[in-house]
Amino acid sequence: MGKVRRISGCVAAANAVKLADVDVICSYPIRPYTGIMSELARMVADGELDAEFIHGEGEHAQLSVVYGASAAGARTFTGSSGVGVTYAFEVYSPISGERLPVQMAIGDRTLDPPGDFGSEHTDAECCRDQGWIQGWASTQQEVLDMHLIYYRVGEDPRVMLPQFVCQDGYYITHILGEVDIPDPSQVKEFLPPYKNHHVLDPKNPMIIGAQIEPAMGPPLQYQRYQAMQAVGQVLREAHEEFARIFGRRYDPFLEEYLTEDAEVVIFGQGAHMVTAKAVAARLRNLGEKVGVVRLRTFRPFPTEEIRRRMSRFKAIGVLDNSVNFGISCNGGVLLSELRAALYDFGDKVKTVGFVAGLGGEVVTHDEFYRMFRKIQEIAKTGKVEQTAYWLPFEL
Amino acid sequence: MLERIPSIRKAPDEEYYVPGHRTCAGCGPALAYRLTAKAAGPNTIFIGPTGCMYVANTSYGCGPWRVPWIHAQITNGGAVASGIEAAFKVLARKKKYQGEIPHVIVFAGDGGAVDIGLQALSGMLYRGHDVLFICYDNESYANTGIQTSPTTPYGAWTTFTPAGPAVPEGKKLFPKDNPKVVAHGHPELKYLATASIGWPVDLMNKVRKGLNAEGPAYLHIQAPCPKGWQFPPNKTIEMAKLAVQTGMFQLYEYENGEYKLSVKMEERKPVAEYLKLQKRFAHLQPEHIEKLQAFVDARCAEVGITVPAVASAR
Ligand SMILES: Cc1ncc(C[n+]2csc(CCOP(=O)(O)OP(=O)(O)O)c2C)c(N)n1
Ligand code: SF4
Ligand SMILES: [Mg+2]
Repeated sequence: MGKVRRISGCVAAANAVKLADVDVICSYPIRPYTGIMSELARMVADGELDAEFIHGEGEHAQLSVVYGASAAGARTFTGSSGVGVTYAFEVYSPISGERLPVQMAIGDRTLDPPGDFGSEHTDAECCRDQGWIQGWASTQQEVLDMHLIYYRVGEDPRVMLPQFVCQDGYYITHILGEVDIPDPSQVKEFLPPYKNHHVLDPKNPMIIGAQIEPAMGPPLQYQRYQAMQAVGQVLREAHEEFARIFGRRYDPFLEEYLTEDAEVVIFGQGAHMVTAKAVAARLRNLGEKVGVVRLRTFRPFPTEEIRRRMSRFKAIGVLDNSVNFGISCNGGVLLSELRAALYDFGDKVKTVGFVAGLGGEVVTHDEFYRMFRKIQEIAKTGKVEQTAYWLPFEL
Repeated sequence: MLERIPSIRKAPDEEYYVPGHRTCAGCGPALAYRLTAKAAGPNTIFIGPTGCMYVANTSYGCGPWRVPWIHAQITNGGAVASGIEAAFKVLARKKKYQGEIPHVIVFAGDGGAVDIGLQALSGMLYRGHDVLFICYDNESYANTGIQTSPTTPYGAWTTFTPAGPAVPEGKKLFPKDNPKVVAHGHPELKYLATASIGWPVDLMNKVRKGLNAEGPAYLHIQAPCPKGWQFPPNKTIEMAKLAVQTGMFQLYEYENGEYKLSVKMEERKPVAEYLKLQKRFAHLQPEHIEKLQAFVDARCAEVGITVPAVASAR
């Protein structure tokens, strides 16, 4: 059995990395994810974790170090925030393209400008199409669990893809929550050792990353696409196993809250959804049929799950905690993708977008009330006057 | 330990960089690769940052190495190598890897070592990874069609430094001296040398010394490029020798704060004798050549090459 401690999201992530017996870690400082690395450095210094802890000379180096280490057969970990995430951009595709199941923690942070420490999902969302599995946790416990689940899924021979485990800066990285830290023996049962069959080994020489002729391009990209397609099923299996071994059950794709007879819901991901749930509960007390759907897996985007489970609502409001200047419908990427997923249902399901909490600003209860009112109004009138609203300026 | 190779006849017969690539005829870097792989032997992993030695070697999904090879970006050879070295270290310690620890060699161009890849090289050296980082210096961004890099000599034509009425000398800047950049700022550095394909035994022994050193080593190999320098492909070795004989490139090992010269010279040839064989310098006027000669004289003096430049008798 594990033990329950009150720890931050950063410390929760570090505990997962230790439990996963990671071999190579590469760090570079940037708030707010830094706490993960200082905790890991402490674990290594105190002899609690046997790993090579490398101080990269930047985020680009961080990703490059774990690329090499993973290709040499090591389980690897790195992480970043904000401009650090984008500084490393070149290396994301080589990692997924060589099918290296590297894991990276993101403690979300606004991109510059403004020079702002606050949380925003823009950093990780920028990298959404690079062949990395991505999901947002909403509590410290979920952070720890997601890291373990993602190692298992990413390293599955059907998948072999890298993973982003994202947590909102400060709201999760720095706030304490109760976390059940599992016993290493449970983790051993859940997470088999990392085995890559295409490693750098002089006894079995292999060339990794050769140039190709154009005709070899489509099949290679198609294989990476198929790997991403396989993630859904592997996630399902991993969550089943996780529930069996650890006794905690999550829906792999969508957490539904008070949705059973809901007419309208707010859809979004990450820590702000905790506030959304609190507001939904208050509105329920007033007898209003509102609920919340929290996206847990952003990549691959669970289109089928959304079609099957969300087409029953009259109207959906989508919260985007990111900037996507010039995007369709003027909201964010979640609005865009949800609308695309529900396209076939046409007018039956109305959608509206909200851009809120930018720069790390709190999305207040009051703002969630206003969002719910807007969604209810749309459900009632059947009219969407504006595809998306920037809060607090437009709503 | 890899033994010293006493002569070219005693060099190992086995090749680990074999035919089956499509570098240009007379390619200096390809020869440097062959000699490096021969010296390093079978227990080696190569990291190949983008450049001619990636693109011209691995076309069509295959490559000419009989040892493991992995692509790195042009930017990150040193960092990828750091990860590989660290992985073997920890996997052996944790008993997850049983074999002998392999040699790890980065084989990067001057762009990948001296310019866009310098940060990763410096980080790797600073942290003390047991890696041999080789820069094969063909003095340009060759693979992208011959553009100036920081090691392109003063006065050289490249597609980004054409000579014209407003810029008569072509390239106006003097080259960055990467061995010196490396030598003076990295306390963990265990071995540093320059080498030339004109001195193959010396080159192979320097590879071996770099690999035998326990810690990071840097080897800067001058490797003439017939396409970029514009000379006939059967003149590659001649060009390599002339570069050293004129002092345009200096051969040494840097140990305990001192330059140890690798070849004895009675005198130097004037740089003009080197320049006139390469069309990339065809536009130079006497005053440019003088400027270059003065630069070379100073650089030679710095590493202890004190013999004067004397024109060859006709
Ligand atoms: C980030 C990035 N920028 C630019 C390029 C384009 N590029 C490909 S090969 C090359 C030249 C490399 O020059 P060098 O390292 O000297 O090797 P060479 O081609 O001369 O052998 C460049 C600039 C690239 N691959 N990656
Ligand atoms: S351009 Fe130069 S370096 Fe590149 S393959 Fe040709 S000769 Fe070799
Ligand atoms: Mg070059």
